[in-house]
Amino acid sequence: MLEFRFPDIGEGIAEGVILKWFVEPGTEVKEGDSLFLVETDKVNAEIPSPTSGKVVSTFGSVGETINVGDVVVTFEDPSAPAAQITTEAVEEENAGVVGALETSSYVLETSSEASQEMQRPAGRKVLATPVARHLAKELGVDINLVTGTGPAGRVMKEDIRSAAPQVVQEVQPTLAPLTTTEPLEERIPLTQLGKTVAKTMSLSKQEIPHAAVMDEFDVTELVKFRQEAKELAEREGTKLTYMAFIIKAVALALKEFPLFNATFMPSTQEIVQKKYYNIGIAVDTPDGLLVPVIKNADHQGILALAEQVKTLAEKAKDRTLTLDEIQGGTFTLTNYGAVGALSGLPVIKHPEAGILGIGTITKKPVVAGDDTIVIRHILPVTLAFDHRFIDGGNAGRFMQRLRSYLEDPILLLMR
Amino acid sequence: MAVMNLISTINHTLDQELERDQRVVVFGEDVGLEGGVFRATVGLQKKYGEKRVFDTPLAESAIVGTAVGMAINGLRPVAEIQFSGFMYPAYNQIVSHVARMRNRTRGRLNLPMVIRMPHGGGIKALEHHSESLDTLLGHIPGLKVVTPSTPYDAKGLLLSAIRDEDPVIFLEPSKIYRAFKQEVPEEDYTIPLGKAKILQQGTDVTVVSWGAYVHEVLKAGQLLAEEGISLEIIDLRTISPIDRETIIESVQKTGRFVVVHEAAKSFGPGAELMALVNEGAFLYLEAPPTRIAGFDVTIPIPRGEHHYFMDAKRIAHGIRRVANY
Repeated sequence: MLEFRFPDIGEGIAEGVILKWFVEPGTEVKEGDSLFLVETDKVNAEIPSPTSGKVVSTFGSVGETINVGDVVVTFEDPSAPAAQITTEAVEEENAGVVGALETSSYVLETSSEASQEMQRPAGRKVLATPVARHLAKELGVDINLVTGTGPAGRVMKEDIRSAAPQVVQEVQPTLAPLTTTEPLEERIPLTQLGKTVAKTMSLSKQEIPHAAVMDEFDVTELVKFRQEAKELAEREGTKLTYMAFIIKAVALALKEFPLFNATFMPSTQEIVQKKYYNIGIAVDTPDGLLVPVIKNADHQGILALAEQVKTLAEKAKDRTLTLDEIQGGTFTLTNYGAVGALSGLPVIKHPEAGILGIGTITKKPVVAGDDTIVIRHILPVTLAFDHRFIDGGNAGRFMQRLRSYLEDPILLLMR
Repeated sequence: MAVMNLISTINHTLDQELERDQRVVVFGEDVGLEGGVFRATVGLQKKYGEKRVFDTPLAESAIVGTAVGMAINGLRPVAEIQFSGFMYPAYNQIVSHVARMRNRTRGRLNLPMVIRMPHGGGIKALEHHSESLDTLLGHIPGLKVVTPSTPYDAKGLLLSAIRDEDPVIFLEPSKIYRAFKQEVPEEDYTIPLGKAKILQQGTDVTVVSWGAYVHEVLKAGQLLAEEGISLEIIDLRTISPIDRETIIESVQKTGRFVVVHEAAKSFGPGAELMALVNEGAFLYLEAPPTRIAGFDVTIPIPRGEHHYFMDAKRIAHGIRRVANY
């Protein structure tokens, strides 16, 4: 059985009303004979038969609306044998020798063999086994940012583990060995956290050529300001720390010097510049170093930052940080001043571009503009940076901008 | 440029090639006087005579065996098996002689011949009229197996097949013989065998299909595009030899692979494609290579046939799971 569907006769006509039938079931037609007259919103058209043969049935009566694609006439298939065995009418209704072909005049887009070149993406995907990709997903590591050390630069599971943020794990208590004589040396297995720290520190120092600039900021105004603002903050329920100001200043400076908020990709020789500013804070815990991250620090006020530093530091010490809270950092601060050190040479947290070390604020004699000696509050800072793509000039300018924010808290608060 | 459906394109192409090359002969069951059950050869006997376009007995083994002899003796036979499901009696000829004459004679004899077969289901036909034999044919070394999805490709591929110096099995998806039309250039053009076609560039999932299903996959691609899933859709066009390069390059780009085919899933052509994706793009995979394929049953007779076929929605559902893996 051949189905004839109301064809697309062009001009965007989608439906029509049957005005007249020229055939009825049983009529023998020749190809090109008119089947019916249809009225559309544009024209009245006589629709010709696409085939020669006997009309089996017609669908739709005069006055009825039909849509393009509706079956309107069925023909006996001229290639089918005239008589069919119809003992199982329901089952075999359509089962002619050649079956029932879908017939339509729908026109496909024109083809050609030209221009089928495959588009290549700008950056290649990194090579990794599915199991490595799964591990990366589980550890929250963007595998495309990991430097592969395997064959042909393949990212190995070890590479992903190294790139993963330190995951807090329960330390297994170790039983003291039952020895009677005290040995001269003792082997202490690293905790899981200790292993991770050791690995990431090695990776960082092995891969990133560190350079550093050191400076002293005169934060007398900031000290004064904080003194005054402290009470106000306390009434708001927040303990105002210098750290909050420094985070704010760093976030602002990073926005102005985006090179420091980036990652160097040795495999592709590219710099990945991040448009989000997540500041990691190194926290000293009894089990080792942890770096919780303050997300979107550039969007937060001083009080909110102070509040977060406090919460995250407490969580780090209680070991209740979530994975999310230690991931996604783009730049890190380490406050060795908190443990009394004046100055230091911090190690960059791989794969970030830099780390700012903060020393202790101390009162120092300073030669003022009029050559008198005055007592000022001095903050020693060290900026370590990835010397592969940042040079001393950038670092100097970054530090000057940081200075302007920290020496003048009003400027900081206006931003 | 004429706008034609797939079946009239086959007719037009055979007509042109019969005219151009005196060595071409066309034959099979009902091919001559009747013009073929699907009208693929209508009018050709009248135009070229009984010596070049003729009917054969109902004996598929003889049809193919005759073609082998003709090809050895300098003709370019284009034999028709009325439905691919009728191939089984000819399978011995195909495997034992067609596929290996060049090898057997150490290259002294080659067989420039084509076996056309309406292929696949979706036409509510009787038993044996709807088979998908991709694997049975694709697995045999020495055969090229080709299947077009559009009238344009049908002409270019069929001309390449007839002019090839070695045997080509030309599978015609009967479901889409008359399902749509397309502009087909009047002039002579060929499309290289063994070369897949990228129908749609995309970034998220590589989807390979062929024959009638290509059109459902394209529709699925539109559904998924609305959800922001971008498919790279490849029409395989030649089932054997497979265009490994195009598929692997695409999967290396997208990291995800789905094959959609009509043949039953187990031991089907999709298994081979997944294997080559594993071999060539393993280190790029984000999700398991996946088959969306026919059920492991004999294709149902008319009343149940629609349960066997997948529409765009069902295909999209399968691809979506891979995209979100």
